[in-house]
Amino acid sequence: MTSVRPKLKPDTPKTVTAWETASGNVVWLRADLTWTQDVSEIGVFTGDAAEAALEQAKTQEGTITDPYFMEVTEDGQVAGRETLRESIRANGPTVPYGVII
Amino acid sequence: MYRYDEFDAQIVKERVDQFRSQVERRLSGDILEDEFKPLRLQNGVYLQLHAYMLRVAIPYGQLNAARMRKLAKIARDYDRGYGHMTTRQNIQYNWVALKDIPDVLEELAEVEMHAIQTSGNCIRNVTSDHFAGATQDEIMDPRPWCEIIRQWSTFHPEFAFLPRKFKIAVTAAEHDRAAIRVHDIGLHMRERDGVVGFEVHVGGGQGRTPIIAAMVNEFVPESEILDYLEAIMRVYNRFGRRDNKYKARIKILVTETGPEEFTRLVEAEYAAQQASEKIGLPQAEIDRINAYFAPPAFEDKSATSDAFERAKTADPAFANWAKINLHPHKVPGYTSVTTSLKPIGGLAGDATDAQMMVMAHLAERYGFDDIRVTHAQNVVLPHIALDDLYEVYRELAAAGLATANESLITDMIVCPGLDYCNLANARSIPVGQEIQKVFSDPAYEQDIGRLHINISGCINACGHHHVGHIGILGVDRKGEEYYQISLGGRADEKAAVGQIIGKALRHEEVPGAVKTIVDTYRDLRTSTDEKFIDAVERLGVEPFQEAIYAS
Repeated sequence: MTSVRPKLKPDTPKTVTAWETASGNVVWLRADLTWTQDVSEIGVFTGDAAEAALEQAKTQEGTITDPYFMEVTEDGQVAGRETLRESIRANGPTVPYGVII
Repeated sequence: MYRYDEFDAQIVKERVDQFRSQVERRLSGDILEDEFKPLRLQNGVYLQLHAYMLRVAIPYGQLNAARMRKLAKIARDYDRGYGHMTTRQNIQYNWVALKDIPDVLEELAEVEMHAIQTSGNCIRNVTSDHFAGATQDEIMDPRPWCEIIRQWSTFHPEFAFLPRKFKIAVTAAEHDRAAIRVHDIGLHMRERDGVVGFEVHVGGGQGRTPIIAAMVNEFVPESEILDYLEAIMRVYNRFGRRDNKYKARIKILVTETGPEEFTRLVEAEYAAQQASEKIGLPQAEIDRINAYFAPPAFEDKSATSDAFERAKTADPAFANWAKINLHPHKVPGYTSVTTSLKPIGGLAGDATDAQMMVMAHLAERYGFDDIRVTHAQNVVLPHIALDDLYEVYRELAAAGLATANESLITDMIVCPGLDYCNLANARSIPVGQEIQKVFSDPAYEQDIGRLHINISGCINACGHHHVGHIGILGVDRKGEEYYQISLGGRADEKAAVGQIIGKALRHEEVPGAVKTIVDTYRDLRTSTDEKFIDAVERLGVEPFQEAIYAS
């Protein structure tokens, strides 16, 4: 069970995100359709190009898992109603962990 | 403590080998996520917000030093140096790589542990009173029956694909610390005319439909309890809804059928089983399991300890901690120690590998090699001699494990929330930390007294918000975090679901609202002897609603 993902309109800027299967690390699609673990490198897609990017991602479900659209601004910043979730997913928990207080 | 026999060891080893093969096929792309997901879930592997999460079973929360050290090693070698204790007395690792999980499971098997049935629609880890076998207020040690139920439910082929997950809790103490009335089945051990038996509660649960369990049988003798449990499971398996996952838990079946009719169905099934396929657990088997849980070799000691009294006089911080974090032991001269995993500003329930090593050492050196994970996300050393307590305290304090707040307002149950969880709508951990800061003055906190705040980041209620004296539920409002507050919930023998007191509040409003609630209680309590929950029951929620929303 995963949270409900909002449907994005065709002209909404978006990227494709997933998890790398072996490590579980979060990955995003670059403009050249290769994967990156650096959220600053993401590609921004709209319309048919976005659908094609997602379809291409789905063909790689051996190395990556559960690809889906993530809303971004035109310059590649996390955007939309899932901003908080996707920002935490990109940057890690908002609280320090693994430390002795 | 349970022990594996040769068959247990073999079956767990085979399961590790099987999962290793499944992971290899997933990594090679031979199987895809849709096919792999049910396989990984059967081995406790979730895919969360940032990474895979591995949930490891800790049967009824009991560990020994070797097992705790192994959990520390896994945190250090395969994760990011910490683990998270859960409300089901298990441990979760948040960052473990899928490719490493077969190795982790192999390491766990070395110390007779696994992650089987920690996910999926099966019977999960049986939970119990974390003071079992130590507390003065139990009529007997419930752990042997937890173990018998664990053995019965593990790999039970008939109950591997239930309509939904299924949770059983057992207590033998009058004061229920195992929250049995919000479990699918809650068992309260009783003694009647020299016969040990169980009061059986069915259909409790939280989530989006919180329900307090119905008592379906006042007394089932221990010799019959597995048959009775099997009858309940069969009725659920047959009539439980599979068309709608939100209506699939047994609580919905009991509610929709009605407790009387549900009980009649169980009794009919039970009678049919008696005629044809009675389990009839032999007394020799019960005795064998009981022997695993024989009390440790306690020394004859005075009920008081000069060393303990001297240390309290010399060290006020120790005296304060001892006032709050100890629980009366059934053997004179001993006590049960709650090791708080709720330091002010910390992450509720998290322990670093170094802290786990300290707890393991203390259990081995001073505590008869016994450790418990509590459903409130702390760790208990159940058998510590008062004579040794100051040494134990000093080592705990040096490791950041001696916060004096057991069952006080800063000792909150907090789910991982949106900082980790793929289901969450809002963060829980920062809210808990911000509330802790409001109550970080020990004098203020202790004046408030016993008060349980439970925080969940979504309606699935992993943070048990419905049964918190103050419950806090994170909700999503168009991408913004809001929090609904409820009052009057409790998880003990007077279990009740809290009442929502008004519209949800913005994140930054929550700590102030909690302070308003607490200060209203302090103004209205009859005396400092009247606990918060008793005051809410006496006053209702209205004075608290007015205090928050009137302005």
